[in-house]
Amino acid sequence: MTAVTDLSPAARAGVRDLVLALADSKRLLGMRYANWMLGAPELETGIACASMAQDEWGHARLLYALLKDFDEDVEGLEHGREPAAYANMELLDRAPDSWAGLVTLMALADAALTVQLEALAECCYPPLKQRVEKLCEEERFHAAHGAAWFRRLASGGASRDALTAEVTAAAEPLLRWFGPDTEEARTLVEEAVMDAAGSDLRERFLTRVAPLLDSVEATDHFRAIRPDFEGFDPARRRPADTAPDEATIRQVRGDANRAFLMD
Amino acid sequence: MIYEVFARKERGEPLHHIGNLNAQDDALAQVYAFNTYDEERWFDMWVVPRDRMVPVFNREAETGGWWARETGPGAASSAADAGSRAGS
Repeated sequence: MTAVTDLSPAARAGVRDLVLALADSKRLLGMRYANWMLGAPELETGIACASMAQDEWGHARLLYALLKDFDEDVEGLEHGREPAAYANMELLDRAPDSWAGLVTLMALADAALTVQLEALAECCYPPLKQRVEKLCEEERFHAAHGAAWFRRLASGGASRDALTAEVTAAAEPLLRWFGPDTEEARTLVEEAVMDAAGSDLRERFLTRVAPLLDSVEATDHFRAIRPDFEGFDPARRRPADTAPDEATIRQVRGDANRAFLMD
Repeated sequence: MIYEVFARKERGEPLHHIGNLNAQDDALAQVYAFNTYDEERWFDMWVVPRDRMVPVFNREAETGGWWARETGPGAASSAADAGSRAGS
């Protein structure tokens, strides 16, 4: 079995950054889902949000744990970082203030994470490869829930307008998340960390969500976007001068009740 | 809209009614049923809108079953009565 020490320095750094970006994104996405366990349009969808929150936090926990083999302090990663150190997807920085915003996260942001996970199905680092299949399997339910709600809101009226506005605003951050086409990104593909990067992943994502984007006539908008990578931090997969808000990270770290933690 | 949920654990078993749920359309009903009734390892699962279930008879309905439609006055109201009971 390939150990961390068998990876090239580039692959080692690539896997570490990618796992942290996925773990941070899933932790914040789980919190966004959890916030709609109460107050969702139907009791049944609140139950589904609870289930998805549980899945995402489980995935995050599993991914953070992988970083122990990279000499990371996992406890410190989960509970000791400031917002500027988080590598989550930009779209998750702030809580969505409407159901249409959450449906956009469910149908598009979660899909982007899954497209990236799927690209790790043959990853050269076995501990990561072995976990990807189960994670992707659980994501199928999230995709079905997201698509059903997306189509529901897209079917007309004020909900369609609200969804279209959320989707349009999400386009560039979503596409930027896959990163620029750099030499470093190509190296990760050549070294079999993942089977695609940058524009190739963007294309997979656009193909995946095309039926949903078509339903709100947003496909042309997405296709026309060339993400702005000025000031982009490739390790955190987001503009270097951006970070989730303080309140979000306090909640994610569990600051308010850490005093009750007992060994 | 209320959906009734049916499932069975093995191929060839009769379907069992396992509950119901509220959903705005079939796609959401499928998602909610899958998520809400996932405690068992089911072989298959089905949902049907309650108002699409066709009433046959109800022993407590004063006007009788579907045959009342064929056999006498008040037939239309008896069928509607049975229908409203299924949908209640």
